Amino acid sequence: MVIFLAAKTVKIEEPKRSSALVRQETIASYLFLLPSLIFFLGFVIYPMVLCVVTSFFDSTMNRADVFVGLANYKELFSDPVFIGALKNTFIIVIVSVPVTCAFSLWVSSAIVDLPEWATSLFRCVFYLPVVTGSVAVTVVWKWMYNNYYGIFNYLGKAVGLIDKNINWLGDEKYALGCIILILLTTSVGQPIVLYVSALGNVDQSIVEAAEVDGANDFQAFWKIKWPAIMPTTLYILVITTINSFQCFALIQLLTSGGPNHSTDTIMYYIYYTAFKLYRYGYGNAMGVVLAVIIAILSAVQFKLGNQDN
Amino acid sequence: MKKSISRRSFLKAVGALSAAGALAACGGSSTSTAASTASSAAPAASAEASGSAAANIKLWTYPIGGWGKDETVQEIIASFNAKYPDIKVTVEYLDYTNGDDQVNTAIEGGSAPDLIMEGPERLVANWGAKGVMAPLNDLWTDDAKKDIYESVESACKNDAGDYYEYPLCMTAHCMAVNMTKVKEVGADKYINTDTHTWSTDDFLATVDALYKGGYENVAAIYCSGQGGDQGTRAIINNMYGGTFTDAAHTKYTADSAENIKAIQTLHDADGINFDASINGGEEITLFRNGTLQMAFCWNIAQQLNTDNNDAGLTNSGDEIFPMAFPTASGDPKLCGGIWGFGIFNNGDDAKIEAAKTFIDFIAADPDQVGASVLASTYFPVRASVGDIYAGNEIMSEYSKFMNYLGDYYQITPGWATARTEWWNMLQRVGTGEDVTTAVKTFCDNANAAAAAEA
Repeated sequence: MVIFLAAKTVKIEEPKRSSALVRQETIASYLFLLPSLIFFLGFVIYPMVLCVVTSFFDSTMNRADVFVGLANYKELFSDPVFIGALKNTFIIVIVSVPVTCAFSLWVSSAIVDLPEWATSLFRCVFYLPVVTGSVAVTVVWKWMYNNYYGIFNYLGKAVGLIDKNINWLGDEKYALGCIILILLTTSVGQPIVLYVSALGNVDQSIVEAAEVDGANDFQAFWKIKWPAIMPTTLYILVITTINSFQCFALIQLLTSGGPNHSTDTIMYYIYYTAFKLYRYGYGNAMGVVLAVIIAILSAVQFKLGNQDN
Repeated sequence: MKKSISRRSFLKAVGALSAAGALAACGGSSTSTAASTASSAAPAASAEASGSAAANIKLWTYPIGGWGKDETVQEIIASFNAKYPDIKVTVEYLDYTNGDDQVNTAIEGGSAPDLIMEGPERLVANWGAKGVMAPLNDLWTDDAKKDIYESVESACKNDAGDYYEYPLCMTAHCMAVNMTKVKEVGADKYINTDTHTWSTDDFLATVDALYKGGYENVAAIYCSGQGGDQGTRAIINNMYGGTFTDAAHTKYTADSAENIKAIQTLHDADGINFDASINGGEEITLFRNGTLQMAFCWNIAQQLNTDNNDAGLTNSGDEIFPMAFPTASGDPKLCGGIWGFGIFNNGDDAKIEAAKTFIDFIAADPDQVGASVLASTYFPVRASVGDIYAGNEIMSEYSKFMNYLGDYYQITPGWATARTEWWNMLQRVGTGEDVTTAVKTFCDNANAAAAAEA
């Protein structure tokens, strides 16, 4: 401890280095970065730039692109399917992000103080849907939602909740809710693991000191643990928001955006426009709008998170 | 003086090597091309002897009967290589869920296959119309045109007369009923078992009898996606004599009074569900496992399927009876499936020639074409092939449906949009939208796409 404090307080004089040495080290550093940088530029930046550029063109298969300026963007906001997809996407985000965070925090708080084997067991159980392939997860859920012999209808009728079978994925009243439920089960795994880790790292001496001073469990959590895990919460919020905005596989595998576009999301509509209708420019314009929305929301989340800190 | 490698020098060397490795990885294609060229130089001499240029070609095939099974396709390729040893054919198998996306991605990425096996709606009306296919006009000799059925020939070319498909096999898509259950409710009197036909009233009476006989789910107008959509189009078009497009294949006509009446009748019928949670494949599963008593997505490949029981039986052993779609006129018009080969124009003439050699052998060589068709489990498109199913009771019986083949309208411009608009329209009807409004929206959108592509 003494050594640690000394290291923090005593200013260590670093030997002066020649500019040639600094330059050599800088070059070496960039060389180390280069492989990753090449992939980042090639597979992230270049497609992003291409996406933005293409969004200003009427682009389709095997035909020269035609510059249309902002026409794709204008069309977006008069396209009822896009507006519907935007609305559905926001519903998914608004429901799934807070529920995922709150549920994950609740589960983590409940399991963090259990014996280590029990904590690990629960972490595994909740993480299982994350590591299971989305196709496998979807197939199981599709069977459970089945209109004719699904387990939800079977149980619903058995306990008297419903009189006749409900076409969960084929009825626009229920379809989006069903998608959100599946999304929740596949989204909580990572936040639970992160929260368990974050809660385990909270300084117990401060918590104990607060309890000695008369703080109850809620006060100890709200005044001490919550601020301590705020960086983790911020990370979870951003990641969950992005994942919710990018909800695609579930839609493609379960509903194809139906019934009657009630489960269309922007990501699915981008795919549909580009791959089924061959309207690459229009699809890219949607991609740009989605990226802008995600960027703004992430910035707001960071801002609010930093204010809280 | 002792020379040692410093830590900094070592790290710099590793960094430089990593960068070089990354650059080498990025430039991998040219390296492999060179290797490929070198390795193909050796068989060139023997290629001249067999009369064909050496080439490696890629074949992508949709699951067209046995052409979706590797062991069957490899046997056919072995026959081809016995005659043309210098053309190496590698195969990739597509499915109807993701196959189109795979092909489109490959086209845009400049890695389209050389050969593809599918039907005119993709080869002619889609990729052909977009200019990514190589014309096959030279394969369509006068003898071939005489031998191949005229309706098939017309589906394989565009309005300008360029052929983008060389056909191999065909079938008629029909529907099927659970005959055991139909007999159980005494509705077999509505079915002509000899001609496999029935009137629209008889069909509706059968549905009603099954429903009142305790079968809550008789049939489904499946519409979760485009898979098997020929079945829903056919039931609707046939019931009161509607059509899907005009005879010239220039516009979509699903908003006719006949089609509106058919959709409304199906929507109002007890026992028929407009189900937006299943597609054609899932409807077949529900039919096979006894949940549904009729299937609108059926053909001979389904009738011969033995995955869960003997051919022609449901999972529980009920008799499956294939039927033409019901009509008021007594003249059913079934959707046809025509499958054959197309060639992507990847800018390599040698590969295009090799692909044509493959097609010519598989689909035109008199000694091979029969086996190629048999592998598909469908019917030949050439009169000269004759009755390859002589002695096969199921196939002989099913061949009756070939007489009911209707117009091959799937080559109408805007087809890709029309397909997606169709199942969306059915979903809207299922959720309560007025039928007239729904079909009008369908026709407006589909015809807009047709006009844009024409």
